[in-house]
Amino acid sequence: MYFFLLGVSHRTAPVDLRERLDFSSRDLGAAVEAVAARPSMAESVVLSTCNRSEIYVASTDPARARDELVSFLSDYHHVPPQTFQPHLFALENSAAVAHLFRVAAGLDSLVVGEPQILGQVKDAFQSAADKRCVGPVLSNVFRWSFGVGKRVRTETALGEGAVSVSFAAVALARKIFGRLQGRHVLVVGAGEISSLTAQHLRSQGVGDIVITSRTHAHAEALAAEVGGRAVPWDGMIQALGAADIVLTATGSQRPIVTRAQLEAVQGRRRSSPLFIIDVAVPRDVEPAVGDIEQVFLYNIDDLQTIVQENLSRRAAEVEHAETIVNEEVTKFMAWQRSRGAAPTVVALRQRFEAIRRAELQRLEGKLGSLPPDARARVDEITRLIVEKLLLEPTEQLKALPDEETQAAYTEAVNRLFKLHDPVGSEESRPSSSESDSGERRGR
Amino acid sequence: MNTLPLILYAAAGVAYAIHFARRDPSVGRTATTLLLFGALVHTFVIGMQTMEVRHVPFANPSRAVSTFVWLLTLSYLYLELTTDERSMGVFILPVVVALQAIPAIYPGTEYVDPVLDSPWFWVHVSSLLFAYASFALAGMLGVTYMLQFKEIKKKHLGYFYTRLPSLQILDVMNSRAVTVGWLFLTVGVIVGVVWTAQARALSPGSPNLQAMSLDDPKIFVAILTWAVYSFAVFARRTLGWTGRRAARLSALGFTFVMLNLLAINYFVTTSHTFY
Repeated sequence: MYFFLLGVSHRTAPVDLRERLDFSSRDLGAAVEAVAARPSMAESVVLSTCNRSEIYVASTDPARARDELVSFLSDYHHVPPQTFQPHLFALENSAAVAHLFRVAAGLDSLVVGEPQILGQVKDAFQSAADKRCVGPVLSNVFRWSFGVGKRVRTETALGEGAVSVSFAAVALARKIFGRLQGRHVLVVGAGEISSLTAQHLRSQGVGDIVITSRTHAHAEALAAEVGGRAVPWDGMIQALGAADIVLTATGSQRPIVTRAQLEAVQGRRRSSPLFIIDVAVPRDVEPAVGDIEQVFLYNIDDLQTIVQENLSRRAAEVEHAETIVNEEVTKFMAWQRSRGAAPTVVALRQRFEAIRRAELQRLEGKLGSLPPDARARVDEITRLIVEKLLLEPTEQLKALPDEETQAAYTEAVNRLFKLHDPVGSEESRPSSSESDSGERRGR
Repeated sequence: MNTLPLILYAAAGVAYAIHFARRDPSVGRTATTLLLFGALVHTFVIGMQTMEVRHVPFANPSRAVSTFVWLLTLSYLYLELTTDERSMGVFILPVVVALQAIPAIYPGTEYVDPVLDSPWFWVHVSSLLFAYASFALAGMLGVTYMLQFKEIKKKHLGYFYTRLPSLQILDVMNSRAVTVGWLFLTVGVIVGVVWTAQARALSPGSPNLQAMSLDDPKIFVAILTWAVYSFAVFARRTLGWTGRRAARLSALGFTFVMLNLLAINYFVTTSHTFY
């Protein structure tokens, strides 16, 4: 059975093509079922995000499966194959495993370490599992990839620190206020960053969002968009008195919030902390406002500096994360081979056990005169000898470095111990390595 | 007898430091486990001493410090287990270890002056030790608040920013610790005053009792401590002294507490020197 993948990602295809091959906007379950319906697919998972559309497949005939996948992509999305074929990438076995692990770890993302991807990989696997499109091969490799994603997240700082201005602002708000539930937000000036940041704050469960703008219609439009409330421009200072988080983004040429104004309302606010995010250029808030005891003032440059620092910190963690991924790929491949050795090991054990029993049976006449406890000891000793003899060969078979060596060893062991021939009445034929049981991996 | 808890506390302290630096959750769990064991052994030690002298051991300053450390550890564990926030450990454990070293090195013997043989004495001392443990927590919370505040205010989001809890949580925990401590301090001081008056009538000849006045360094610092924390409680509620101002006050108050618990106990003879 071969494990491979075929797809396009932000590394290989431009955005318009990725859009045309996107599955996420359509029913993922239906897509994975359509893939599985092709004759050479034993197992399949479709992973689709805004940066990638990838199909993971287990098949006994990879060449044919590849052709079928190309025709599937073309049929499903109504895109002629020649349009996307130059942008397709295909990977097999350990390279495919490594790719999946890198994706799950966030190493292959456009913004390295972004947190959503692991959930998207899990969802992709779950939709395929719900449609019964996965078997032991994909189950094992996907489940392992979840562990890799988690390990990279906990052992490295790859996903740490906000990498966009609006996320950086929300992260800071959380460090000042803890949970943002029930906090009052004031947005001054309706623009794109105001809208994005207000939406992030809304998703954190803030209490209410009050919006004001010189053009009241803009404030009302943004209020409708983020579920806030628009107030007239001259109510701004009063609204400041009730706010915990203030976002300013007007096109004003002069500061609209001064230190004197804020000191006047700070008394009314009983000096509770105030976080001001000034994303306007030129600045809307007088820099001296930041000197007031409980006021935290961040302008757009401060936030961008944080984002840059976080990005470089993430870049510094990439190497560590790659090491973890490589380690896990090696471990996974070794584990898979050790599972591949299982049928031979089982057959070998059965063979030895059969010989032991046969010999004990043959000597029954002589052993029969022994007292029961001595008889039990003979049984125990012979069993231990067999165990000891098999210990090293079992370990060696499980630790073989690659599949070729494994095949050679299996063949040799089969011949040396005649594993395909029955001993006495015992049947010791090994089960085929293809009909792998779905045994869970033990980590 | 106080050495075994000290060793466990020290080991927990190292684990908390590693946890803080590397942010490895398994090391954090090890740290908590070690601290729990330390507290358990310490409970056993104090239990044994209580059975030996038939009261909780704190008439002797070293034993009082040991009891104080025990209460501080329990209060910290309560805080950690209820908030699931381990990053404070690295600040509390150095205090725990440094103070526990005192009874481990100078065990002292528990001797009780007959004057002290009153239930009021035990209420007085245990209230104050518990108040001091709360203030130690509040003090360390104040220090961490200031570290976190500085990084956010100065826009240098660095080492502490990523590791410490939010300002809000630190402030709320600080407020609770100060309020609880202040209540116990008030009870302890009132009981002390009332009981001194009673004891003077019973033992008119005791020089200690005669010396109990505001001129006495220990009493003076205790009243000063009470004034600082009363102001902290009052200012938070009426003047809006939260955040960094509250943090500074609790750090200041904690220095008075340490002055009274250590410097004055060991180096100055006061009306409270009964041994």
